[in-house]
Amino acid sequence: MADETFIKPDLSFVKRIMAAGGDTAKKCYQCDTCSVVCNLTPTSQPFPRKEMLQAQWGLKEVVKSPDIWLCHQCSDCTVLCPRGAKPGEVLGVLRQMCIEQYAFPSFLAGKVGDPKWLPLLIAFPVLLLLFVLNIFGLMRIPEGTIQYSKLFPTLLVDVIFMGAAAFAVFVFVNGVRQYWKDLNVNPWKVKVEGNLVRDLIATLKDIISHNRFRQCETTFARSLNHLLVFFGFVFLAVVTALAFYREWFEAHDAVTNVYLAMKLLAIPGTAALLYGIYGIYQERLKNADKAGAGTYFDWLFIFVVAAVGVTGLFSWVFRLIGIKMLAYPTYFIHLVSVFFLFFYAPYSKMAHMVYRTVAMLYARMAKRGF
Amino acid sequence: MNAEQKILVIGGGMSGLTAALEAAESGAQVIIAEKAPYLGGRVAQLHRYFPKLCPPTCGLEINFRRIRENPRITFHTLAEVTRISGGAGEFQVTLELKPRYVNDRCTACDACAQACPHERVNDFNYGLDKTKAAYLPFDMAFPQKYVIDASACTGDCGRKCQEACQYEAIDLDMKPQTLDLEVGSIILAGGWELYDAARMDNLGYGQVKNVITNMQMERLAAANGPTVGQILRPGDGKAPKRVAFVQCAGSRDENHLPYCSYICCMASLKQALYLREKDPEAEASVFYIDLRTPGRYELFLNKVKEDENIKLIRGKVAKVTQKAGSQDVVVVAENTATGEKLEETFDMVVLAAGMVPSTKAAPAALPLSYTPDGFIIPELLPQGMFAVGSLKSPLDVTKSVQDGTGAALKSLIALGGRS
Repeated sequence: MADETFIKPDLSFVKRIMAAGGDTAKKCYQCDTCSVVCNLTPTSQPFPRKEMLQAQWGLKEVVKSPDIWLCHQCSDCTVLCPRGAKPGEVLGVLRQMCIEQYAFPSFLAGKVGDPKWLPLLIAFPVLLLLFVLNIFGLMRIPEGTIQYSKLFPTLLVDVIFMGAAAFAVFVFVNGVRQYWKDLNVNPWKVKVEGNLVRDLIATLKDIISHNRFRQCETTFARSLNHLLVFFGFVFLAVVTALAFYREWFEAHDAVTNVYLAMKLLAIPGTAALLYGIYGIYQERLKNADKAGAGTYFDWLFIFVVAAVGVTGLFSWVFRLIGIKMLAYPTYFIHLVSVFFLFFYAPYSKMAHMVYRTVAMLYARMAKRGF
Repeated sequence: MNAEQKILVIGGGMSGLTAALEAAESGAQVIIAEKAPYLGGRVAQLHRYFPKLCPPTCGLEINFRRIRENPRITFHTLAEVTRISGGAGEFQVTLELKPRYVNDRCTACDACAQACPHERVNDFNYGLDKTKAAYLPFDMAFPQKYVIDASACTGDCGRKCQEACQYEAIDLDMKPQTLDLEVGSIILAGGWELYDAARMDNLGYGQVKNVITNMQMERLAAANGPTVGQILRPGDGKAPKRVAFVQCAGSRDENHLPYCSYICCMASLKQALYLREKDPEAEASVFYIDLRTPGRYELFLNKVKEDENIKLIRGKVAKVTQKAGSQDVVVVAENTATGEKLEETFDMVVLAAGMVPSTKAAPAALPLSYTPDGFIIPELLPQGMFAVGSLKSPLDVTKSVQDGTGAALKSLIALGGRS
């Protein structure tokens, strides 16, 4: 046969999908309810039916498919799936594997998704920060009014965290380059017709407005919660940038516009982040029966974001009410959480913001469903 | 004849009738208890059988004649078994007989119905039309006697019906009766109900006009149905030119019926064929996961495939909506052979709804072992008790008849073993 296709099933790939929380993948009998009820899929070669088949057959290439990132895990498919195959959850696992695939170094990639490595992953920033405190002789609860820079001098924070962020950016750039290359060859080779700049702007608009995410039916509330978390992060990122600017270019005790802007953004930013992540947590529990309980990979990310928000909030509260013995340790945990979030970003679900953006940009340029 | 030589058959559908007749014709004394006011069950509602596309009425007629001619069979309609105790050879059974309000003098002249001021939803036609509160279930109903639906015939309705009857066949004072029986063996033949299609909210039944079930399609096509055998869509009475058949509407779905209902593929293929036979301009699209046409039924599938106006599309329909400003129906599916998601407009959509054993909603009058889906587990039935037909698993008429014969033989052996 001229159009014969040889497939190379990879059993270990199937086993990994099942171990990571996609244990329902093999229940799929390809009826296609999922692709029909999906509001986000392109009409030609729709997902997630074909991805379910590829997952079952151990066709590893599926992790490179841009389609898995066009899915926002609305779980409308999972709710109506006649076999309990939970396509939403399976695609979530495929996205996790995509993140692993493009993360560097590869040995670290699998560890973030594996609960037994969690203690070690937490131990790294804890020990690193303790070590830094130790060599600078700062391992104590500082005297006087609570000022976190007494524990960690600003320069030290900047060096450690900019280092962590730079590491993450480096890994991301590396991953995205490889991903973009893979997207533009077979089997997903669709002639990319779009305009990079114009389509990137359109994609960012999609992301900012969450207009695709909001097409979810079952988990519609999740899209709003996610929007809150998203803007919480945006606000807090601006706050961080302002703080950085202030630290280096303004007098520390002067009340300037930058200072006011920082304070005005920090409070709603934290509130949005915490309210949103709490909403996500609640929604997930509420929908667990019909939409699936979520994987370890998902929950780890939710808890890390929550930890950053909660410890940030309490660092502020304890500082204001002046309880040293709680304020400094909370701040320490806050730094550990933030470090965890940034440093492991390329290996955790945090990476979705990068790969999903790339895949959405690609889909727009390839005129796939946009 | 003592109790040990009697067989009670609960359910007067095709499998129950077959079991009863085969046992009676082999010499046993048989009592049939049927909860509807007529015998024949689901088969009586069908327009055509597959695969021969012959009308079921002729087969039913033969069975009704066999009953009439056989002195060893007695039957009760409007009868429900409320209690079963004892064991093989000595079952004690209580039957509740609901009043028919019409006695044996009824000549089925229709005068009462004509005079009757009230109406009721016609369950025989799956709600597609109404009958008077005094009604004959269907033209060939056996026994050929009218029934008065007391819940619909309120006020002076009963009196008006009674006055119209010149044969004194209406007795409004009839009371529910209780009948105690002793039998040696019991055959459970409660049959099946159609799964409630309204429970699949994505398939539009009950919300979208002109979405009907497969059993409603049978009634639309049947000469004794609400449209006198013309297939007209219920929304506006137009003859549908484009009809979609949605397979596995509830079946093979763990949110509804986790099992395959066995007959729906053949039923839809049959319906597509008779739709085309009645209207050569009509087109049918059958959306399926797998076309299950076991054994020789594959020949039937081949016949369907020869018809260019019947499209078989692999892909399950999971969204059915009303086309805005129209009576038409929009169906969304993916043709998984081409990988293209389709959104097509049809005049009418037929949901191939599945079979639910009657024991799911109404378990037998004594504790029995059921599967989670309500099917009887035959191996775990008490001695002297047998189940037939769709109470054990979904099946077609041919197999029901074979099963009925088998059950007759088993109960005869059970009776014999005790004498």
